[in-house]
Amino acid sequence: MPQSGKLITGDCFHCGLPVPSEANYHTQLDAAERHFCCLGCQAVCVAIFESGLQGYYQRTPEGVLLAPPPPPPKDIEIYDIDEVQQEFITSSGDVRDIHLLVEGIHCAACVWLIERGLQRVTGVEAVNVNLTSKRVHLRWDSKRVKLSDLIREFTRIGYSAVPYDPENAEGVLNNINRKMLYRLFFAGFAMMNLIWISIALYSGADKGEFREFFHWMGWILSTPTLLYAGYPFYRGALGGLRAGRLTMDLPIAIGLSVTYLYSTYITVTANKIGEVYFDTVTNLIFVILVGRYLEGMFRHQAVSATNRLMELQPRVATVMQEGKEIITLIRGVQLGDHVLIKPGCKVPVDGIVLEGVSAVDESMLSGESAPVTKAVGAQVSAGTVNTNGALLVKVGSTFQNSTLAKIIRLVEEAQTSKAPIQRLADTIVPWFVLVTLICASLTFFIWNTHNFQIALMAATSVLIITCPCALGMATPMSIAVASGLGAKHGILIKNGLVLETLSKVTHFVFDKTGTLTEGKMSVAYFHADSKIDSKDIIRSAGAVERYSEHSVAKAITAEASARQLNFLDVDVQDFQATAGLGVSARVDGKNILLGSAEWLARNSITLKTTLQSQVNQLESQSMTCVHCAIGGDHVAVFALADKLRGDAQKLVDELRKAGISMTLLSGDRKPVAEAIARQLGGMEVIAEVLPQDKDQVIQHLQQQGAIVAMVGDGINDAPALIRADVGIALGSGTDVSVESADIVLMHNELDKVRLATLLSQRTLRTVKQNIGLSFVYNAIMVPLAMMAKVNPLVAAITMPISSLVVIGNAALIRNLFKNEKR
Amino acid sequence: MDVIFSLIPGMTILGLFFFAVLIWAVKKGQYEDMEGNASRILLDDDDDKMM
Repeated sequence: MPQSGKLITGDCFHCGLPVPSEANYHTQLDAAERHFCCLGCQAVCVAIFESGLQGYYQRTPEGVLLAPPPPPPKDIEIYDIDEVQQEFITSSGDVRDIHLLVEGIHCAACVWLIERGLQRVTGVEAVNVNLTSKRVHLRWDSKRVKLSDLIREFTRIGYSAVPYDPENAEGVLNNINRKMLYRLFFAGFAMMNLIWISIALYSGADKGEFREFFHWMGWILSTPTLLYAGYPFYRGALGGLRAGRLTMDLPIAIGLSVTYLYSTYITVTANKIGEVYFDTVTNLIFVILVGRYLEGMFRHQAVSATNRLMELQPRVATVMQEGKEIITLIRGVQLGDHVLIKPGCKVPVDGIVLEGVSAVDESMLSGESAPVTKAVGAQVSAGTVNTNGALLVKVGSTFQNSTLAKIIRLVEEAQTSKAPIQRLADTIVPWFVLVTLICASLTFFIWNTHNFQIALMAATSVLIITCPCALGMATPMSIAVASGLGAKHGILIKNGLVLETLSKVTHFVFDKTGTLTEGKMSVAYFHADSKIDSKDIIRSAGAVERYSEHSVAKAITAEASARQLNFLDVDVQDFQATAGLGVSARVDGKNILLGSAEWLARNSITLKTTLQSQVNQLESQSMTCVHCAIGGDHVAVFALADKLRGDAQKLVDELRKAGISMTLLSGDRKPVAEAIARQLGGMEVIAEVLPQDKDQVIQHLQQQGAIVAMVGDGINDAPALIRADVGIALGSGTDVSVESADIVLMHNELDKVRLATLLSQRTLRTVKQNIGLSFVYNAIMVPLAMMAKVNPLVAAITMPISSLVVIGNAALIRNLFKNEKR
Repeated sequence: MDVIFSLIPGMTILGLFFFAVLIWAVKKGQYEDMEGNASRILLDDDDDKMM
């Protein structure tokens, strides 16, 4: 069987992405040499073959691009604690049920792999994968296997799973959508039956013996439809009236009521002349409900997709009591408790360091990419990540009062104070409603002087003809199609209404760290001045730094492996790290030192002037420099910087061409932000902004009349994302920012911002066209109806046509990205 | 033609019955994962034949 194109040289055997030229990962599997793009893909593929599940690769459908395995979730041991599990499991006892959100499910083959892979684990009783919502329902025996081991098994075969509570996350939304679906079903059922009855009536039955029977059947079918399926319109119309607004629901409700009452009057009085319009009543309800349901469904899909990105918040803390470590739930931590924070863990509380020194990654809060060294007496904040040393912290404030909680509160405030988006249709609707009502009344009073029967019929047909279907469906249909198209291209539109706003945006604000840049350090320059070969220097440096967890160290190790230097074989002895300064070790019998200038000075090594001049120049470009000394001799300098994302330049150029002004907003130091802005060109820079002030920058721009879109990823961006007219978050961002944004870019490709703008322009155009179409239709039909020239057959044919035209026009949006690569 | 006096109400009642079945199916979660179950039946234990 063909391997779905995976054997083409240059593509990763596991994920199908191109193999980078410097990557060197290959394994002998099934008598063939397989190449991989990264260590993650390799490990997962080997694990899959070892488990005898290689059938997975044959099952992957043609044309489906897999992605490299997502990073494994952290702190999974905490899920073994019963109190933590209690929040997620649906049944207690030894056999437990849990829902897991799983990242990395692409296709049906993944369903097969997960179910097969997990069922092999002893203690697992049932595995059920839901492909649509990317969730797994797991039943396991907690006596025989630990939950953390099961999550580890997911990681082994290339998925990232975290427990989650379905009721909490989307229960309410699900429920509302379900009720809507029932109403839709019922209206559809009644409509289909009524169509047959109408056909019978139009084709002559209204003259014969069955006339009354068919009228009564119509009444029986449409009465429950109106009361049950049509209830949302009455509720909406009344709610609008109470708030003093004319909503779209009002003409729908009036039209439905008048049509229904008139038809009932004809039926009850067994009138021989008039016509019944029960089919119109149910048609109208059905068609408009379809529009509403679509609107709700796409919003719902986007919400469940963002749930996938949920990140672990610190749930437990290790409290030290009388020299013993006790794992406590976060709400059980008391003020003044001593909390131990191990390296690699999130800081669970705000507090003051009592013991230990470590570099803490505060990028989530401050946007600052480089870790901050925390020693005794320093303040640490909840939600930040402790990178390399253990810290003992005295709790300074409870979780509710932590910096993290304050930002979350700020988000909530911004949410409530943000002006609601005005739909284009909503600005027209009140006028439309008013004109319709006036036309209908005029028709009635003018004809009433002539004949009451004709007056009633003409006025009713004005209300029916002004069929709000087209107008009511103009926006939801377009947005539904656009949202679906966006989701296919990795643009999740959580709030469809921003599609109308996005095309009018005049000002883009970008966060720096993690948005325009990759958010992590990498080696930008390397300068050596020594007899030793630079390759050997980097090899030794990489070998030493792999023992350190510091982000600087990771950058140097990454550089060594990117250069394909086989540093894993190098023998490293006496490794020692001094937080905030650097590391030392012995390699091949020589002392090697890596760290700041001060670190070298402390070890009485004189800096070389040639290298020092390079350092001065690099540091003026705000790069972080790491000095390297081997055998007591200063040999080289690594310059580290946060790299720009590959597509940042393209996006900025495109936006500039479109005449949109841009601002770079950063919590980082001014020179760093300015260096980035210079590189991209034509951006205003606002640096050293505190997280709580970011949304004020947006507010200030808005007060100057700009329509602002904010692109960001961190928790510190969340208030600004909400405050902005359109908030765009990167999928890799923190859950709070993803929750706060209107649009989420799944693959962290900035180029998608451009696609989203295109999509928005197209959507707005379609909405306008649709509104125009419904006006043309009304302009032709209303005068006819007012002249009492519309017979029921004409009405029955033209009404669905107006809706179909709107739906068809909206469906054309699908063609927009035909030429774009997915 | 008198038969339609019983046929039409009959069909309506039958329709209502199916509507009830549909609601039941939705409540039981039959529509929750359309893609997964559709593919699962094709991806079952036929490893030997696929190789």
